Amino acid sequence: MGLEQYKGDMEMCCRCSTCKFIPMQRVSGHDFVNVCPSISRFNFHSYSGGGRLNIGAAMLRDGFQYTDRLLDIVYNCQMCGACGVSCNYAMDMEVLEPIQEFRIRCVADGKTHPALDKAIAGLRAHGSMVPPTGKRGDWAIGLGLKDATREKVDVLYHAGCLTSYDPSLQKLARATAKILQKAGVNFGIAGDAEICCGGRAYQMGYQEDFLRQARENMALIKQAGIKTVVTACAEGYQAFKVLYDKFKLRGDLEVLHISEFVDRLIQEGRLKPRKKVGLSVTYHDPCRLGRLGEPWVHWEGKKVPGDRFVFDPPKTYRRGTHGVYDPPRNVLKSLPGVTLTEMTRIKEYAWCCGAGGGVSESNPEFAQWTARERIREAESTGAEALVTACSWCEKAFDEAIRETGSALKVYDIVELVEAAIS
Amino acid sequence: MTQEPKSPAMGTLAGMETGADALNAYSKDISFVNSVRPACVTRPKDAKDVQQIVKFANETKTPLVPVSSGAPHFRGDTVPSVGGAMIVDLSAMKKILLVDRKRRVAMCEPGVTFAELIPEVEKAGLRLNMPLLPRKSKSVTGSMLEREPVLMPKYHWDISDPLACAGLFFGTGDEFRTGQAAGPGTIAEQWAVGGVQKAPYGPGTASWHRMIQGAQGTMGIVTWTSMRCEILPSLEEPYVVGSLQLAPLLELAHWLVRLRMVNECFLLNGANLAAIFARRWPEDYVKRKAALPPWVLFYTVAGYEYFPEERVRSQVQDITEITQRLGIEAQRAAGGVSAREILRTVQRPSEEPYWKLRAKGACQDIFYLTNLEKIEGQIETFLHLGEKAGCAASDIGVYVQPIVQGTSYHCEFNLFYDAENRRESDRVREISALGTKALIAEGGFFSRPYGENARMMVNRDAASVAVLNKFKKIFDPNHVMNPGKVCF
Amino acid sequence: MALSKDVYRAFEDVVGAEYICDDPVIMPSYHQTEFAAVLLPQNTAEVQAIIRLCNKFSLPFRPVCTGWTGKFAKGSLYLDLRRMNRIIEINEKNMYAVVEPYVISAQLQAELMKGGLHLNVKGAGSNCSAMLRGHGHLDQTTSGDDRNHLAIEWVTPAGEIVRSGSLGSSDEWFCGDGPGPSLRSILTSAVPPGVTPGVFTKAAMKVYHWPGPAKFPIQGVSPNYSLSEIPPNFMARYYSFPSVAKMFEAENKIGESEIAFELMGFNVAMVAANITTSNEEEEETFRRLSREVQGPGFFVIVAGNSAADFAYKRRVLEHIVAEAGGKSLASLEDPRLEGILLCQCIRISASIRETFRPGGMFSSIPVMGQRDLTIQWAIGAGKAKEPLIAKGLIVDDGGAFFGWGVEQGHLGKTEIFCKFDPQNPEAKAAVEAWHKEQSTRAFKERYFALLAGQDEEIGRGLSNYHIWWNEIQKELDPNRVSPEGGALV
Repeated sequence: MGLEQYKGDMEMCCRCSTCKFIPMQRVSGHDFVNVCPSISRFNFHSYSGGGRLNIGAAMLRDGFQYTDRLLDIVYNCQMCGACGVSCNYAMDMEVLEPIQEFRIRCVADGKTHPALDKAIAGLRAHGSMVPPTGKRGDWAIGLGLKDATREKVDVLYHAGCLTSYDPSLQKLARATAKILQKAGVNFGIAGDAEICCGGRAYQMGYQEDFLRQARENMALIKQAGIKTVVTACAEGYQAFKVLYDKFKLRGDLEVLHISEFVDRLIQEGRLKPRKKVGLSVTYHDPCRLGRLGEPWVHWEGKKVPGDRFVFDPPKTYRRGTHGVYDPPRNVLKSLPGVTLTEMTRIKEYAWCCGAGGGVSESNPEFAQWTARERIREAESTGAEALVTACSWCEKAFDEAIRETGSALKVYDIVELVEAAIS
Repeated sequence: MTQEPKSPAMGTLAGMETGADALNAYSKDISFVNSVRPACVTRPKDAKDVQQIVKFANETKTPLVPVSSGAPHFRGDTVPSVGGAMIVDLSAMKKILLVDRKRRVAMCEPGVTFAELIPEVEKAGLRLNMPLLPRKSKSVTGSMLEREPVLMPKYHWDISDPLACAGLFFGTGDEFRTGQAAGPGTIAEQWAVGGVQKAPYGPGTASWHRMIQGAQGTMGIVTWTSMRCEILPSLEEPYVVGSLQLAPLLELAHWLVRLRMVNECFLLNGANLAAIFARRWPEDYVKRKAALPPWVLFYTVAGYEYFPEERVRSQVQDITEITQRLGIEAQRAAGGVSAREILRTVQRPSEEPYWKLRAKGACQDIFYLTNLEKIEGQIETFLHLGEKAGCAASDIGVYVQPIVQGTSYHCEFNLFYDAENRRESDRVREISALGTKALIAEGGFFSRPYGENARMMVNRDAASVAVLNKFKKIFDPNHVMNPGKVCF
Repeated sequence: MALSKDVYRAFEDVVGAEYICDDPVIMPSYHQTEFAAVLLPQNTAEVQAIIRLCNKFSLPFRPVCTGWTGKFAKGSLYLDLRRMNRIIEINEKNMYAVVEPYVISAQLQAELMKGGLHLNVKGAGSNCSAMLRGHGHLDQTTSGDDRNHLAIEWVTPAGEIVRSGSLGSSDEWFCGDGPGPSLRSILTSAVPPGVTPGVFTKAAMKVYHWPGPAKFPIQGVSPNYSLSEIPPNFMARYYSFPSVAKMFEAENKIGESEIAFELMGFNVAMVAANITTSNEEEEETFRRLSREVQGPGFFVIVAGNSAADFAYKRRVLEHIVAEAGGKSLASLEDPRLEGILLCQCIRISASIRETFRPGGMFSSIPVMGQRDLTIQWAIGAGKAKEPLIAKGLIVDDGGAFFGWGVEQGHLGKTEIFCKFDPQNPEAKAAVEAWHKEQSTRAFKERYFALLAGQDEEIGRGLSNYHIWWNEIQKELDPNRVSPEGGALV
């Protein structure tokens, strides 16, 4: 079905432009009102969520006509889903799904972006979205972690490509492992056997590559008898929890983000953050932990003939309502000496870090522009540090800070937890 | 456009007069504009007469000067700027066409004065949003077309208020109705289905009434107007707040208007209040002036149909909080003038003789619009300039009227003088010119520029004038409508 | 249709290569029209330069802000004003704000509320330009139509910059009228509805006192926003009445008594749209509320400047409602729903739920002016919807119309919708026929004239206004580069 299944949704777009802004009730001033990086950066309406749907509907009607501009529009989108949240405050229609399908269609038609092709070639060759810098499991050397492919564990910690290979971010994997150790969790890692979750490939439009990764990962998990997967990266979280479920590959695997797990551990008294951290922070909701981290809703049905855009059986839209918003905040609030000040754009209408949708590969300048905007917003809170819960976000923010010379510090939530429990 | 009647012969025009007395009466007014004697005076009785006159003027290229109020005139707009003009005196068109309580609207011809209309609307339980003490002969229509400021800023939603709709003949002779009155249907047909002539905007994109307001008769001649009316309160409690300083009164006025707690709300200085209430001249005037505070803010708190006492009580309580914060006090009287007396007085036209003429027989008004921050400085500038020219600041009347719900302020200086005294007259003329110039330099906006100082304002905005002249070309292609006025 | 290289380059010289595009691929996102190009000017100077080039090359242009549906001439230039989005000034003492066209009402309202002010947000929604002409939920106390504009900076269709009123001669924004006749006579439609030719590049608008909090205490995650508490001295209620006559009697008395912060003559279908988060829930809620009400009704917000002011207003409201036989809709007295409605109807954040959500399209007959007169007409227009509802061609809203008093009942707004699926040709045809019949009836029976373009018969029936307007356009736009056409912003 692909894009065709969303014909009705795309035709529902009334071009009201709410997809460009945070939900109207949340607008609290002139600044920080935009929610979509793409329209904010490129300005032509076609770069907005609605504009993308309008183009999709027109191409379904009149045939696909690829131009450089069209591909520029397609690939300059972080697939962050903010447009859909704002739209779905009022409208019953899919927004991100047709945008995703449009991209999948482009890839299927061979209309790809060279930088993304390169990234996917790396994935096919090395099972990673980032170039390997050594062995995948090197980050864990010396930590004495269990190999989940060989030993029986309750929990598999999936470190993810970036955290595994990026020397500056391996600390996040180590911090995560130490937290789990401290809490006495029976967990293991897949080490060198770990492969990419496939989530970023999917965002880039390479559905088949995603499915291959998903199947391989689930095979490993099944073979190892894993019941629970924990990720500390929002990309991996969304892939395992939402996308695998979307393609009916997840089964009954429990998927937790480390922030959810830590929140649970603290509540159960298994983890006691006692050491004063002493930091004023603001928290960035990663798109794929927040609004796109909400569970997949399986639905099949048909439009009811008649006046309303309603379906039989009724369709439940994923409006970003059930994303993971509170656990990371609970964790931060439980850390001694940490004070949390919120930014304007938070939770379901958070501004993206810029790294999603392959944009950090296809248009690093745009990715940086997007991250800088978030840094500016974080600075406006007066906080000393910007805390996130995804290594891709941290990388994007680190680069933006290097470029702008901002005094803001960037931490992953696991770093602060580690500091509070060590 | 509309079907035009055949051109009439001049002699058949309504109420035609060419006698010297009649012509002299329209050749000058109290302002300093040059005296120009018209060629004739017409006194139409109805719209048909008006159309014939406009038709005639177009065919003979005769300048027309519409006049709706009775004498005395003050601003030069009814004195011809060119020779050979025909005065179109509409004061005989005196029909009150409609008073509708339910829709809060009245409608009348241009000759109807405040003195005539007020009792009629009151009978229906309505009231007009009045300018400050118009002379008895002042046309209601004339006042609205001039965008005169009104006393109740709370009900002044738009600067065009209280004008609702108008029926008119453009300078071309074509009939036109503005706003809701435009159609569909004739006025009678509209009435038949329950329609009144209330909504001002349209037809179409334009708000045509705004084009004839402030035009000083240069776009066409109005044969009727309708106006929004307000409900007569069942309880009114007036107050005055006197002060040596203007600033706290302006601050209070801002909040009273902003919170919409008061009906009438304006500021006068001692000179003007004394001029309004003095009975014997000059002793009483001098005495009153000395007794009054330099600045007085007047306002009325009112109640309507439901629990009026409770409404007044709650608003007075809220106002008291503000006055206490500002360190001022609302009272029932100031300097021997009671608030009740002020209220009673300003709800009617001026008694005869007209209050501005009582002191010395003539008065020159310098008025403009400004914002809250600039009023004090501008007043200081003007009074200083007056002093320098030999006119004591304490003799210059000042009136400050918050308008358009507090988005701007009408500021007016009243220079009372003896027109027969050449030195005094020259001095006032000089103050008027220098004052206008100085006020413009300090951001004063003369939105209704009259007479010889009008050029100082219009010359500052060539772009707007260029557009206005495009309108003029359309609505008065033969340039017969009051040539020489505003920027035409 | 495409611009020649030289012409393209000329426009590119004005806005820069990044802000012009003529690739046909982007055009479907711009109203299904084959525009010659889309341009994104960033300031008045660029707008002026563009318009001058349009005159030179005889190219029509249309300025648009956030850009809802509209009709545009093929081959015209689309001026997307989204880069002109600055709040120039908020003047608290003089109660006005100055904005560029792409400042949306939500932004301006939020900034104003911080200083105890607010503005007339148009019913189209707070996602639209703050300088839009029109009416909305807040009209009871914040006026509407073209009556909130003060000075305006306008680039004429000939490319001249005109600064109306006090702006032109005194460099102040407080007044848009004079010297002499007012240019507001034609500067009525801020940016697009596209009817005042040229482009409004900045506009000052009246703002009003806001007695509420600097920010609403919103809680929850979209779409389940609610208020954590009803702000002090605020109250929202929905009252239904035994008849339209009784409803209007109460509406009018509330206006005359000056007690309502907002009076929105919602029918229950619109209430249901506001408080529900999906089509299915809306349908169910509409049915339930329809059973609860005794007849037509309205939604009222009372806001006091103080506790005493609030108590007085509330007492009068309850008295008036009782006199007219009104009944409060009990389920909306639930503070959660009260809070949702209160916030929606002040921030105007659910207009799309009211209009587009059910079927994807709505067709409306909006009437500004005399409320009692237009209600008379709307009763008939509502009845004429019933067969369409029975056939399932339009969404069932009980055949209702809606409307409200403007300026405490001095003026009014009445409107009636048909919400339908635009992909259903039968529904589309039926709605078009209903629209035509009812607007024709309004004209023939002397209620009002619905203007849609230059209709000769309607023009003749309205003082030949169309001829005069055409003359004005010719004078202002000698090269006819600034065509008319409806488009919301």
